Amino acid sequence: MTDSSEPGPAVREVRLGATRAEGGTREVSYVIGGDRGLPFTGNRPDRLLVALEVCDDPQFSPPVVRDYVGDLANNPDEWARAAERTYGADIIRLNFTSTKQRGFDAFSEIAPTMERVLAATARPLIVEGSSEPELDSEVFRRCGEAGEGERLLLGTAEADRYRSVAAAALAYDHAVIAQSPIDINLAKQLNILLRETGIPGDRIVIDPYTGALGYGFEYSYSVMERIRLAALAGDADLAMPVISAPADTLTVREVREATPAEQDAIAVAWEFYTAYASFVAGASIVCVRHPLTVKRLHEALEV
Amino acid sequence: MKDRLTDSLATAIEHGRTGLDARMQALSGKLAYADTAYALPVTYAVTGIAVRDADGAREAYRQSGSNLLVACECLMAGEGGVEIPYTGFIPDAVLRRLGYTLVDGSVTGLGLLVGTPESPDAAAAICREMQEKYLLTFLAGGVVEALSGAGVRLGLDYRLVPLGPESARGIHFADILARVAMMFGGVQPGDVHSLLGYAAERAKAFVIAFPGLTDEEAAFVDALRVLGIPILAAGEGYEGGEWIPVAPATAVRTGMDLRGIRVTVTAIPIPMACSPAFEGKSIRKEEMYVEFGGGRTPAFELLRMRPREEVKDGMVTVVGPEVDAVPAGSALPLAILVDVAGARMRADYEPVLERRIHTFVNYGEGSWHVAQRDLIWVRLSKEAVAKGVRIRDIGTLLAHKLKAEFPDHIDAVQVTLVTDRQKVEEMLSEARKVYTARDERIAGMKDEDVETFYSCTLCQTFAPNHVCVITPERPALCGAITWLDARVAHEIAPAGANQPVPKGETVDAVSGEFAGVNRFVKKASHGEVDRISLYSMIENPMTACGCFECIAAIVPEVNGILIVSRDFTGETPLGMTFSTLAGTIGGGAQTPGFIGISKNYILSERFLQAENGIKRVVWMPASLKEELGDRLREKLAAQGMPDLFAKIADEVSGGREHDRQQ
Repeated sequence: MTDSSEPGPAVREVRLGATRAEGGTREVSYVIGGDRGLPFTGNRPDRLLVALEVCDDPQFSPPVVRDYVGDLANNPDEWARAAERTYGADIIRLNFTSTKQRGFDAFSEIAPTMERVLAATARPLIVEGSSEPELDSEVFRRCGEAGEGERLLLGTAEADRYRSVAAAALAYDHAVIAQSPIDINLAKQLNILLRETGIPGDRIVIDPYTGALGYGFEYSYSVMERIRLAALAGDADLAMPVISAPADTLTVREVREATPAEQDAIAVAWEFYTAYASFVAGASIVCVRHPLTVKRLHEALEV
Repeated sequence: MKDRLTDSLATAIEHGRTGLDARMQALSGKLAYADTAYALPVTYAVTGIAVRDADGAREAYRQSGSNLLVACECLMAGEGGVEIPYTGFIPDAVLRRLGYTLVDGSVTGLGLLVGTPESPDAAAAICREMQEKYLLTFLAGGVVEALSGAGVRLGLDYRLVPLGPESARGIHFADILARVAMMFGGVQPGDVHSLLGYAAERAKAFVIAFPGLTDEEAAFVDALRVLGIPILAAGEGYEGGEWIPVAPATAVRTGMDLRGIRVTVTAIPIPMACSPAFEGKSIRKEEMYVEFGGGRTPAFELLRMRPREEVKDGMVTVVGPEVDAVPAGSALPLAILVDVAGARMRADYEPVLERRIHTFVNYGEGSWHVAQRDLIWVRLSKEAVAKGVRIRDIGTLLAHKLKAEFPDHIDAVQVTLVTDRQKVEEMLSEARKVYTARDERIAGMKDEDVETFYSCTLCQTFAPNHVCVITPERPALCGAITWLDARVAHEIAPAGANQPVPKGETVDAVSGEFAGVNRFVKKASHGEVDRISLYSMIENPMTACGCFECIAAIVPEVNGILIVSRDFTGETPLGMTFSTLAGTIGGGAQTPGFIGISKNYILSERFLQAENGIKRVVWMPASLKEELGDRLREKLAAQGMPDLFAKIADEVSGGREHDRQQ
């Protein structure tokens, strides 16, 4: 790092969560981004966040997670409380997996689930709303409304379906996850599209899509690295922090076919190495699903 | 405001203005709406003043330059509420939801109906049409009772919002627009300029006025025009002003056309997934059920603009055998004919939209497309055909995608797919005439005539740091995008892959190095490439993706240049085939001595001028010589070298060439 009085370009800062003073009810809020260099070259480690996923419908959780969390899986609020207090997640990722069901129409359940989870944890929330484009409008509005004031990180905007997420973020003052399929140019284009809807750059987090280790992760790594380099080279449309959700890692063959005795260990190892590598590539938040991976990541980050 | 007081509407409006003015002066007491953080929203947005009482209202009215919307709002705030089922002023919390549907596209636009319709049934039909087109409609005045009487169900859930029994309650329509602009558009209170910009571009609204407005109501409705809102007069009594007379049956259509409101459908009804995620996936020979073109059969694609009445939107026609009529592994001829129509479509958009066929076909999970024009090569996979995918589905995919991606320019698309060999061959010569005409359009333009070049980074999906710089005299190396095409592409999609590149200062006129181009390339190549020369293959040549029509390479033994085109499968005098060379120079690298080029660049005055250009060329495949034929002969003759053409060797006249030293 140079001592130049003119600091070079930096990744933008994005605030997640809102304390009482900030108009919400969280005990803590985070500011991610702000980096002026490559990862781990002077980065403040307290800006790296580990999110643990909580699903409203456990049937779409990987079996290894369901087996591990047991009854918690049926109560997203209890699960969220445990994610914070027992497993130490920095931020809770509430995934409305129920919207994956064929013919989903339980829109009225969304706000109560949001409220219960918000009450159960004092950590900021990432909310993955609708899984189906035709549900987007109804689902994102309810997620956004129920979390008003809490500065959620709402997911997921994609190039051909970003309007509902963007509208919810604009209407209720949230941040947005912008996901592109492992392609730096599409990542940039989506950020421009979001900007055109009126979302300020300090409310966008890039998700370049993360493949599982051994199953294409190297592509994701390389895109994350390039996004960071572009940001540091002054490309304002890519100067947003990165979130990585290596969701496929718990469904790879090695995890599925592990013996029951080894399954948790292999799942955690697979998730840990993928997620940690994402941090190395420049991610500010990694989202994991096995509760034990959280501690392992925190330990590794302390070294 | 016009000053012709002789005609009726203008007179009414002037009367109304006088009346509203007088009432403003007489206004007294506290003024407020409930449940809003925006005070009196129109007044707040226009003047930045949060009005609380009559004196404040008069001051704001004065500062607004006697804006009648401000007057009507202040006057309305002094009146009482309305009875159910009327909504009156809509609280912020509800409005946030309404604004959400507008931003997220589930509502396409906003309508306000005022006055009392002559025929309740006609008004009901208007409302039905507005519902079908996903418009959010507000109602004020006698129209509400007329609709209830005609059995129309009203309420937010039906997207028909009864504001109040008097047309004057339509002022809430304006306060809704003002708050949407402040909530969603980042418009700051008092910033009239951005308020007007937002209302004109984002909140697409129109008014339908039925008869029976009072003078004051007419003045208020007319004042909405400042927000870029057209007033459609559906009935008698509004002649002689700026209102647009319409028949009730065409009112919605007219309003939508005036505001450019379009309904788009996202799901494409074909039995295969369609997403950019499948774009990079190729279909290998063993996985292929049927292929078109690629050298095995004649094939081409052509997109043309047609008058609106000649395009039946969404129609897909297949002429000739469908794919299930041939066994697996077959090859069929193919013509992809796309006809588009649109009020804002222009003939020079044709090649740009045509180039998108490549992208869209590749979006299909089981369809694959390479190259362009009459060089296309299309495959459908066995898996896709087993799921029921037919060549017809490619037509459906194209029709939907073109409309969805270019909603501002395309109103209607029809696609014809021809697999009948004789017909394809007949049409091919017609298509080639179109391609030639397009190439000629740019033929007279020179690089020094323009200050701006264009980039193309479409191929960064495959070659992440490659940047094509397109100039009038150097088309994209794929041959499919000229400078004009790139300019148009930028107009259509300002955030897309073709961006303006300011030339900047000339660093070297001969090798074609420009400071602005270097700056752009450095950024767009993510810092990989610092300098490029547009007219040289030795010093900082342009990078190549992999789509080049031809490769130019130095032949060191004779100090000359050879050019090999993609269709030539044999060995070049360098001892390498096209594909071996392509593998060496592609991927976004600078390889001095080798460049990827388009065929038309060979004919350009700027063709490798740093290396003495066409004079240096010693070898080309016979097919390329034949294709460039007369155009190249003409060019050489004009440069005083009429016999040079015959001296360029090919694979027939000699694989190695020693005669042609300078």
